Amino acid sequence: MSYQNDHQGQHEDEPVELECGEPGRDEEAYVRKQIELARRQADLSPSAAIAAQQHQEDSASLRIGVYICRCGGNISDVVDVERVAETVRLIPGVATAKVHTFVCSDPGQHTISDDILRENLDRVVVASCTPFLHEQTFRGAVARGGMNPYLYEHVNIREQVSWAHRHDPAGATSKAIRMISAAIGKLRHVAPLDQIKLPNHRRALVIGGGIAGLKAASDLAGRGIKVLLVEISDKLGGHLNQWGRVYPSERAAEELVADLVNAVGHNPNIEVLLSSKVKAVSGFIGNFKVAVESQPAANGAMQKLNATVGAIIMATGFRPYIPQDGEFLYRTEPSVLTMPEFVQLMRSVSHHATSLVYKDKNVRNIAFLHCVGSRQLDGVHEPSTDGRLNSYCSRTCCTTILQQALAVRTRFPQIGVFDFNQDIRAYGRGEEDYYAQASRAGVVFFRYNGEEPPRVEITPAGRAKDGALSITVKDALTWGQELTLGVDMLVLGTGMIPGRIQDLIEQMKLAIGEDGFLQEVHPKLRPVEVAVSGVLLAGTAQGPMNIQETLAAAGAAAVKAASMFATESVELNPYVAAVDLTRCTGEAQCVTQCDYEGALQIVQMEVDGELVERAQVNAGLCAGCGACVAVCPHRAIDLNGWRIDQFEAMVDGIAADIPGRECSSELVSIH
Amino acid sequence: MNTQIDSNYRPDALIVGGGIAGLQSALDLADQGLQVLVVERQSSIGGHMIALSKVYPTLDCASCITTPKMSAAAHHPNMQILTNTEVEAIESRDGAHQVRLLQKPTYVNFDKCIGCRLCEYACDTEYPDPFEEGLGAVRAIAVPFTNAIPQKAVLDAGHCGTCGTCARVCPTGAIEFDQQPRHLTIRTDAVIVASGFQLNALTVKPQFNAHRSRNIIAPITLERLLAPHGPYGRVLRPSDGKMPSSIAFVQCAGSRDESIGVPYCSRVCCMYSIKQAMLLSGALPLADITIYYMDIRAFGKGYEQFYQNAKAMGINFVRGKVARIHPVDGGDLAVQVESTENAETPMELRRHDLVVLAQGMIPGWMPADSTPVACASDGFVATPALTAPTATTAPGIFVAGTAAGPKDIVDTIAEAGAAAMQASQYLYQKRSALVAV
Repeated sequence: MSYQNDHQGQHEDEPVELECGEPGRDEEAYVRKQIELARRQADLSPSAAIAAQQHQEDSASLRIGVYICRCGGNISDVVDVERVAETVRLIPGVATAKVHTFVCSDPGQHTISDDILRENLDRVVVASCTPFLHEQTFRGAVARGGMNPYLYEHVNIREQVSWAHRHDPAGATSKAIRMISAAIGKLRHVAPLDQIKLPNHRRALVIGGGIAGLKAASDLAGRGIKVLLVEISDKLGGHLNQWGRVYPSERAAEELVADLVNAVGHNPNIEVLLSSKVKAVSGFIGNFKVAVESQPAANGAMQKLNATVGAIIMATGFRPYIPQDGEFLYRTEPSVLTMPEFVQLMRSVSHHATSLVYKDKNVRNIAFLHCVGSRQLDGVHEPSTDGRLNSYCSRTCCTTILQQALAVRTRFPQIGVFDFNQDIRAYGRGEEDYYAQASRAGVVFFRYNGEEPPRVEITPAGRAKDGALSITVKDALTWGQELTLGVDMLVLGTGMIPGRIQDLIEQMKLAIGEDGFLQEVHPKLRPVEVAVSGVLLAGTAQGPMNIQETLAAAGAAAVKAASMFATESVELNPYVAAVDLTRCTGEAQCVTQCDYEGALQIVQMEVDGELVERAQVNAGLCAGCGACVAVCPHRAIDLNGWRIDQFEAMVDGIAADIPGRECSSELVSIH
Repeated sequence: MNTQIDSNYRPDALIVGGGIAGLQSALDLADQGLQVLVVERQSSIGGHMIALSKVYPTLDCASCITTPKMSAAAHHPNMQILTNTEVEAIESRDGAHQVRLLQKPTYVNFDKCIGCRLCEYACDTEYPDPFEEGLGAVRAIAVPFTNAIPQKAVLDAGHCGTCGTCARVCPTGAIEFDQQPRHLTIRTDAVIVASGFQLNALTVKPQFNAHRSRNIIAPITLERLLAPHGPYGRVLRPSDGKMPSSIAFVQCAGSRDESIGVPYCSRVCCMYSIKQAMLLSGALPLADITIYYMDIRAFGKGYEQFYQNAKAMGINFVRGKVARIHPVDGGDLAVQVESTENAETPMELRRHDLVVLAQGMIPGWMPADSTPVACASDGFVATPALTAPTATTAPGIFVAGTAAGPKDIVDTIAEAGAAAMQASQYLYQKRSALVAV
């Protein structure tokens, strides 16, 4: 077929030059070149199809290695793995089938790479846990054996078999065998694939100029990486600009902010945009295109800026929980304050003051109430206007309350301080000390059960000797006695809620967790990454954290970006759509269906001397979702690595006559 | 013994400790193209985490999370690993460091050993397996555990009967009875201290009488009992192999207690106890499980929900401090609780057949004795910088994970990344300055 050669020739004759270190002057031209390169890389369809056919013809002589994991006992306690191995060994093409306690361990991986060399394997199946955990691990092992890593199939016999069919070992064993048989079926139809390599734009966008954003930016810049830092307000520093002293160092928040702002301000690698908002994000890892709008002065003209960045760090932070009107009499009684309001009050008091005066009244006693807007329970707390209950712990309120309670007792020893909590979570380094000190300083602690939070009422006239507010609690420390206290002031230990970044979440297709905060891929394996490659999480955008934890999380995000920028190019999975130009008629149904802007377009090209319109895939933008495959009336588009014929082969594999002993159950019957 | 590494090897960074913190730091540096040496005093990398059963709050099996990181470290082209090696001292001058190492003899030449385990199978001397917390047995020469890295046999001189069988069966002649300790000095520009933690003794509180009953166990012992590949494959109590039917978790048994010198919170015990209680209720559906606590500190992402789920599963949470534990007949234990919940029985005696004491975390290594790194009053590495939580008092030396105070795995991994970032910045700036000169 002539176009294939043309295509190859084009590759060699017109090398696409790209500068990947510095942002080019002409951003548009840069992106155009990248898209051109991506197009050439992605347009694999004809060669891939031919290769697949070739491999199918050879499939009679395939040598497949199957590795079945016990996962300690997570799998083998239910699935008879020896039986699985014994059975799949009989399937034509299977050269070896082995069982290992942990295939993911080093010895397990060694077995695979050794067998590829020793037994001449050309296909590998691993049946273990979810591919989400270890598909990449085994691709690496296969590659170390010298095999193309895409001639490997992963079968999930833990989440989908042993954990799902715990009470049906025979059925689970049968299902495992059939799933492996499906993978073997697919392997008869696969072709080697290569990762898509795209240039890497060595500059990061940091969204948010709070301490997480400042830390991530200064870390990257300190490593020689250029950063664009976009802050929505007119000042860097975030919530800490309105804070007093920070625990556990007891240094002023301003000092901490100034430290970070100086590090950012003095670094020529960082460009800071204040009063600016990221309006649009498109593209992919190594090549994100972002549009930023800035309005430096209140009445100034709106300025627009486009930039290309390789990575995006989400340091968008949190919002303090604002109690609903009337929640613990907030906004009903002026003497009910949130913690940020109380911190402001304490900051406004002169250092020489000997009493705390609020709204012209001398404050004689203060109550602090924990878990306001946090650890909320269904049926106990009112959901907020968006219907959300904040069931999580906000992590910082306990120690903040202890710190402030202690500060009140230290500065104004005449003020009585009462603390209403369900647990004291002073978990961090130096935090328990606040608890001990607050106790010694005479703070009185009451403990309620989460199901029965204290009631706050206005003290009936005539009984307001102790204070205008009455707090009634069933105190667990005195075996559930109901106690009522009068106080002059109530401080609500308000927690953290997710920032308002709905537009970015939608634009960037980010996942949010049950708690409404941005969701990482895996808390331990990929703790600062999200499903969209190249987007990283820093700080409280991900969930409540204290200052030290936020700074560490920002460093963790920065180091991932730095690692990403260590290579000249980024490598993407080859699972992208590919067009069969012999079948495509340029009707563009696929383009209409495509959800990823720019991933598919209709272009003019020459096929057999004729100028025609055909669909074209941009590999960087294609998410491999397959929506295009379903709508093409000519079957002219398919997904590399997940082609229709491969799916058919998997179905055949499931339904095939499995050699060996019968293995089924009443609960599961696949015939 | 890895003989390929000698004093001429000059890594960009040296990591003290091959647990999860050290491995994550090392990977985050090596991925940036920097040369990294990981020094681990045990026979395998993986630290405490590789011995755990499952980890909260996702209940992933710990091996499934740890082994890929161990394996990635072992195969990384920019990384070298020295096991059975201790850091004796660090001397720093002008921001560069000389790290004095002591490589302990393993009596096996690692360049020759192929991990075939023939020596292990042939050895007829056994001793209580430290990896299984003494519950199983291990041969005097053995690969440390199933998924250990490196997969090399190590001979325990303290238990070896010097019969010579291993040397006779070894197909590669790797056994070297005459191996001597080896001193090695490595020069490097950056160091990350990831020396981890240890747990204080079960017997730290004499009123709990842990020395008088084998059924008062450490949480890590329960981890091994719960691990699917653990010593028995199920949960049996140590004294008589009985399946326990009433299990007590005693929180803060080695923390938040000024009388034992550990006033701070160990930060992980609440959550791992809840996790173990959940796993136990799966393994022993009929057992009563009680957690005695002062505060439940379920502060991390997804932790509070995990706690609420445990309550819904029927695990008993009793707010009360355990005062005393006494062994009683039949191997059981009488637990005296100062309960704050019931006015009629403020001091209650409850009978359990297995008690788990939540030990406290204390430092695994005291670098202040032999390095320029200062420790704080809690014994952990001091981190005085306001905006760099992983910087120590010594320039060019950073700290990650529980070496800087108790921490769970999630927070450890984040901090390990931050330490790597700090170290790579330090290296970059140091070298930029050199170029500028």
